[in-house]
Amino acid sequence: MFLRSFFLGSAVAAAFVAALVQPAAAAPWTRGFVVREYGFAFRYGGREGRPETAPAADCARGSAVHFDNENEMRKALSRQKWRSKQEIDYIVAPPGIEQARLPTYVRFYVWGRAVSYRGWRKGIETYINPFAADDPGQPQVVSKISDGFDLDGDQKTGGFSSPDGVRGVDNALYRAWGCDAPFRNPASGTLDLRENTQMQEGLYTVVIRLSGNQNPMNDNDATVEIGYSPDKIVRDARANVASDYSYRIVKSEQYTKLKAKIKNGVVETEQVDRLHVPRIGWFPDQMGDADFHKGRLGLKIDSDGRAASGFVGGYRNWLDLLSENTFAQTGAEQGIRDHEDAVALYYALKRNADGLPDPKTGRNTAISMAYRIKAVPAHVVDPAMPAQVRRLKEDEARVKGFEMVKAAMIKAVTTKIVQPVPLGTGEGQFPAMENTIADLPSKEFFLKNLDAPGRLDEKGNVLPLAPAPTPERQVNNTTATTIASQSAP
Amino acid sequence: MRSKVILAIAALLSCAICGDLAAWAAGSTQVVGLRRLSEQEYRNSIADIFGKDISVQGMFEPQIRISGLLATSTSVLSVTPVGFEAFSKMADGIALQVTDEKHRGELVSCTPKSATAADEACASEFLGHYGLLLFRRPLTASELKARMDLARSMTKSSGDFYTGLRYGLAQLLQSPNFLFRKEVAMRKGGTLALEPYSRATRLSYLMWDTTPDSELLQSAQSGELNTVAGLEKQVNRLLASPRLESGMRAFFTDMLALDTFDTVSKDALIYPKWGGAMPPSAKEETLRTVINLTLRENGDVRDMMTTRKTFLNRSMAALYDVDFTFDDDWMAHEFPKESGRSGIVTQVSMLSMFSHPGQSSPTKRGVALMDIFLCEPTPTPPANVDFSAINDTTGPLKTVRERLMAHANTPTCASCHNHSDPIGLSLEGFDTIGGRRLTENGQLIDLSASLQGKKFQDGTGLGQYLRDNPRFPACMARKLYAYAKAVDTEEVEPSVFKAAYKSFTDSGFRLRALIKGLALSPEFFTASPHVQEVSAGQTKLASSP
Amino acid sequence: MKLQRRTLLRGMFQGSVAVMGVPFLDCFLDSKGQALAATGQRIPTRFSTFFFGLGLTTSLWVPKKAGLDYDTTVQLKPLEPFKKKMNVFSGMRVMVDDNPNFQHWSGNAAIATGIAPTKNSQFDSKTIDQTIADVISRGTRYKTVQAAASGDPKHCYSSLGGANTLPAEPTPLSLYTRLFGPGFQDPSSGDWKPDPQVMLQQSVLSTVSDERKDFMKDLGAGDRARMDQYFTSVREAELQMAAELKRPDVIAKVAIPGNPGEMPVNYALPNVRTVTPLMAKLGALAMATDQTRVFNLAISEPGSNIFVPGDPLGYHITTHMEAIDTALGYQPKVAEYNIYSMEILASVLKEMDAIQEGDGTLLDHSLLMAYSDQSYAKIHAVDGIPIMLAGNASGRMKTGYHIAGGGNPVSRVGLTVQKAMGIAIDNWGKGSMETRSAYTELLA
Repeated sequence: MFLRSFFLGSAVAAAFVAALVQPAAAAPWTRGFVVREYGFAFRYGGREGRPETAPAADCARGSAVHFDNENEMRKALSRQKWRSKQEIDYIVAPPGIEQARLPTYVRFYVWGRAVSYRGWRKGIETYINPFAADDPGQPQVVSKISDGFDLDGDQKTGGFSSPDGVRGVDNALYRAWGCDAPFRNPASGTLDLRENTQMQEGLYTVVIRLSGNQNPMNDNDATVEIGYSPDKIVRDARANVASDYSYRIVKSEQYTKLKAKIKNGVVETEQVDRLHVPRIGWFPDQMGDADFHKGRLGLKIDSDGRAASGFVGGYRNWLDLLSENTFAQTGAEQGIRDHEDAVALYYALKRNADGLPDPKTGRNTAISMAYRIKAVPAHVVDPAMPAQVRRLKEDEARVKGFEMVKAAMIKAVTTKIVQPVPLGTGEGQFPAMENTIADLPSKEFFLKNLDAPGRLDEKGNVLPLAPAPTPERQVNNTTATTIASQSAP
Repeated sequence: MRSKVILAIAALLSCAICGDLAAWAAGSTQVVGLRRLSEQEYRNSIADIFGKDISVQGMFEPQIRISGLLATSTSVLSVTPVGFEAFSKMADGIALQVTDEKHRGELVSCTPKSATAADEACASEFLGHYGLLLFRRPLTASELKARMDLARSMTKSSGDFYTGLRYGLAQLLQSPNFLFRKEVAMRKGGTLALEPYSRATRLSYLMWDTTPDSELLQSAQSGELNTVAGLEKQVNRLLASPRLESGMRAFFTDMLALDTFDTVSKDALIYPKWGGAMPPSAKEETLRTVINLTLRENGDVRDMMTTRKTFLNRSMAALYDVDFTFDDDWMAHEFPKESGRSGIVTQVSMLSMFSHPGQSSPTKRGVALMDIFLCEPTPTPPANVDFSAINDTTGPLKTVRERLMAHANTPTCASCHNHSDPIGLSLEGFDTIGGRRLTENGQLIDLSASLQGKKFQDGTGLGQYLRDNPRFPACMARKLYAYAKAVDTEEVEPSVFKAAYKSFTDSGFRLRALIKGLALSPEFFTASPHVQEVSAGQTKLASSP
Repeated sequence: MKLQRRTLLRGMFQGSVAVMGVPFLDCFLDSKGQALAATGQRIPTRFSTFFFGLGLTTSLWVPKKAGLDYDTTVQLKPLEPFKKKMNVFSGMRVMVDDNPNFQHWSGNAAIATGIAPTKNSQFDSKTIDQTIADVISRGTRYKTVQAAASGDPKHCYSSLGGANTLPAEPTPLSLYTRLFGPGFQDPSSGDWKPDPQVMLQQSVLSTVSDERKDFMKDLGAGDRARMDQYFTSVREAELQMAAELKRPDVIAKVAIPGNPGEMPVNYALPNVRTVTPLMAKLGALAMATDQTRVFNLAISEPGSNIFVPGDPLGYHITTHMEAIDTALGYQPKVAEYNIYSMEILASVLKEMDAIQEGDGTLLDHSLLMAYSDQSYAKIHAVDGIPIMLAGNASGRMKTGYHIAGGGNPVSRVGLTVQKAMGIAIDNWGKGSMETRSAYTELLA
């Protein structure tokens, strides 16, 4: 069938074209997308082009600036009453650093080691035992507008409205974490950029498939699937995520399939008790499911079907969130390089947790949150054989190390018993610092006075500290100011 | 297995000059063809003679397209200093590998009495054996002696037997006798008929795109190839082999100008989707389509204009916006009827090759397809044409068609544009990278066309028009003939491929029937006494808009 | 390593042939008395070509004033830093006589050969760079080196005649590998020594040359000519090897850069802008280290397909399709593309001028001929094709002039070039373009 254009008035022609572009109503349909941007739904309050550090409606004093300079370092170290003034002076500006071959690394590792030990007494690695440290404080989001969902169906809770005017949006993670420098402002926050870059370069792939029986833009009985794909993201000639490529969707036990309604291209899924979606991450060991309690997904599809954006959210265990982030590298690296303090985040998350109370303690174990999604059209297909998430063999050691450190941290904060650093994991910058300061004139001072997760024999082999620290308890620590005064034994 | 081949070839060496070859040696002969090996022919030949393990590294001189075929230029082009330097380095690289410790056990059939001294018998066996395979005929006694002398002196000066072999072999590999396919004919009455080794070579490169195998050389040596039955036996053998696909891939690559893809650039700002694996994949899609249709399914060649069956990899599936199954790197796919796709003229390869970086071009497409499929080249436009109307999108003329018509209606332009544009205009439903579209600058695109009294609509109509056009199979027969003999397509007299064309039509347009008809026709191995001169570029594809 | 006597003799014989050209060149240079490097070595004069497609816009590039101190026009503006070191020729004619005006071919072929081509895409004689190389390149490792900045080895307008053109290096990496990859020895390095492999290769080549007589038997005239070219190529390879056995005379005072690596090389203008100066630099270094004395660089084919990203048509099609702006009197977009060609030429001259040797720069000891295929591409006009000569050929060429050609044949430029390069030649060209009159006023 084809009509000559001169038979058609322009209105008729437009309708004709529209009919061809839009599939006919009431027929089975499928639409796929591959996610091109995936990250925390932290709404940046500043204008476009402003940096993540600038004050704006979300963070009145700009982002957190932990360990950003010598003053900040001095502030952080002064909270440990057991440190001498000389020790603080030496750490802040290691004597003779200008003579070292790699002065920036010397400073990086010395600072890193020092901030890894901020316990109420010497010898406690506080990324694994954050409860044993003084709360350094974390700026909170003050904006009243947030992306995300009203997860509890209560407009009075949450304290945020969505940009579209939905009230009672629950996104406590945003409040707690949204002023953290590396995740504030998707255009410049280092870790947000990093995890999106890694995803686009093939670390992981997230796909979404919509299907129904009526019409892709209006269907009250649609289905949404979301999951990992084993197939790498393909980028186009301009380095953007390419459209229309095919991706298999991984189907595991936790495979996610949700019922949804679509109205004028706005997709709203049901809310389910447990929702599994891929996590964000920039290292292989961060890959895995994010388990949302009371999870749901919302998407907005462009009228031409060529783009989708939206959110997926729910309540997540906040210790999972903290460890996935902190131990992606080491607490010290995140701290010194990205100006993020995982100890401060520990207390901020604990304070803001708003879901899944522990039946015994009554304390909230989860925090409301969402991931933001931007996606381009793709063909999402079922694999002939069950597909696996990509994971390289050489990543296994790293994954194992991550699990060990995470387990130690969870044990520490749930038992309040100080845990040692699992050796061989790199947490506490050990023995990276010892190796790096070899040509620092003042190295003896640091080797003698700075804590370390282990010790080295003459040949440089790593040995555990002996004797192992005796189990001990620390007082409850909920606010920043009360602890410092009672920290001396 | 290789040693068996070596034994078979050793038998040939014992009769270096006999039978018809004697006439050649006696001088009643003429060289009727001299064709520089193409890159693929060179690579395939080396792989067949020495095994795939031997790598060939270097740059090959480009070929040029003459009257639609690169093959024709092989009988026009020579070797430039830069080209020879590359051949020389490649020769040395190959010879070094063949005689190194890793490969000599397999590739040098004899063991010298001493590894540090000359061994005439072994050197003679080695150089004679590879001389035959590389020159595609036995070496004459003096030819062999020259290489033996070289090898001996190299062995002496280096104190290593294999160094002698290496340089002897390197010499064979940069000899014009290897780098050029010399086609020698003998006078028989008023005509010149190809001597048997030249026949074997022509058949082999046509059908397998490589050097003749030992059986073919054997049939040349025994004279079998110059008998009707012997020729038919060999032709049937070559046709039955899966290696026929390599030969026909080479032919279709040339005929469809798919080599052009190596230099196609698209504008990443306007068509960011294009890039990466797409250009080579688009070429491969078309080759898989035609090989599957014409050889694997033994289908009617004309159906390549209408088939909706194709083969896609992940990149091509993205370009066509269809699901890819991931079962294998390539999947068979059949476009639905409403896709608007019809045969290879609507595949991404053909659509994108003959377009601008950021805009389709009905004229480019039309000119190319008329030449490729109907053997009807379009003359180049006059030098002082004003094309500016075509690009003025700000005026009332929104679509390329409207703007092209305004330009083509001027009397000087009309004759050529009426000839080539209809084909291109019917393909305007596809953009410059072959994607489907319905509108241009907000206006619905008119896909109607009228050509040589026939009216049709869009790519499907064009495919059907070409399928039903008797000029298409005739053109293909003409091109295959020109390709096989490296002559100018436009100078091929219809009479010389008449017999081949008859078997083609009788078979219902099966490709094997065409090849067989060609190879068995009396004209295929004869030449007119004067040497044909091919002129380059006289009628190359018009490159203007 | 012991070598057979015949091999050695051949090697020495060819070595002596290679050296023979040098005394001639020495005389020539001595007569000027200035082309001596700081080290006391004589500096050879080099020749380069720079080809750019689709010409310029006459109203925007031709200076109003002829002679010295001419006015700098809009399209010559990018070349202003080199104004004193170059000459520009406007109004030169390509006379095709009875031959067709092959679009995007006749113009550049005529400039390169002095002959209007009788066949499309073919040259009716050796191109000017090859004629010059025959005389000046003896004893260098490569007689000529060519590069194509938009990535197609076919973009080379250097030929021994006929349909063959010398394939160009299509990427900076391949150019680098050819010049400074395996087989390259820095002439300034203390442990320079001839490679014994080269002598063995030479004897292989001599046996290939020995095949000539047998192979030519029974060939028709056309094929004989082709095989002549083949055996000439073999001979070139032999000479090249002879040159490799001899330490180059010129001591380079340049550092050889590292491998440039893979990069996109295609028609997109940003890439051409990156690749061209890189190639020019490698070519300049090759000349400075006497790997070659003739370097040919083309940024595209005639009828250039270079495009600015976002322009759906690209350069060539724009020249045909863009309307002339009635207020301006020219095609505005085309005029922009024209300027890009000149900016890219300037980037090439900059690389050549950056290499110091003796009392001047490599550019001073060179003559570079820049030329195009059309004058007014919209209508495929060839009269008034822009030609520029840069560098003063070690003092043999006076510079800073605008020559208003006034309908003189383009072959006059070619003849002038050859005289400046020391080629013993009185007349050049064929038909109406045959000329005996060089621009003697430019010759010092």
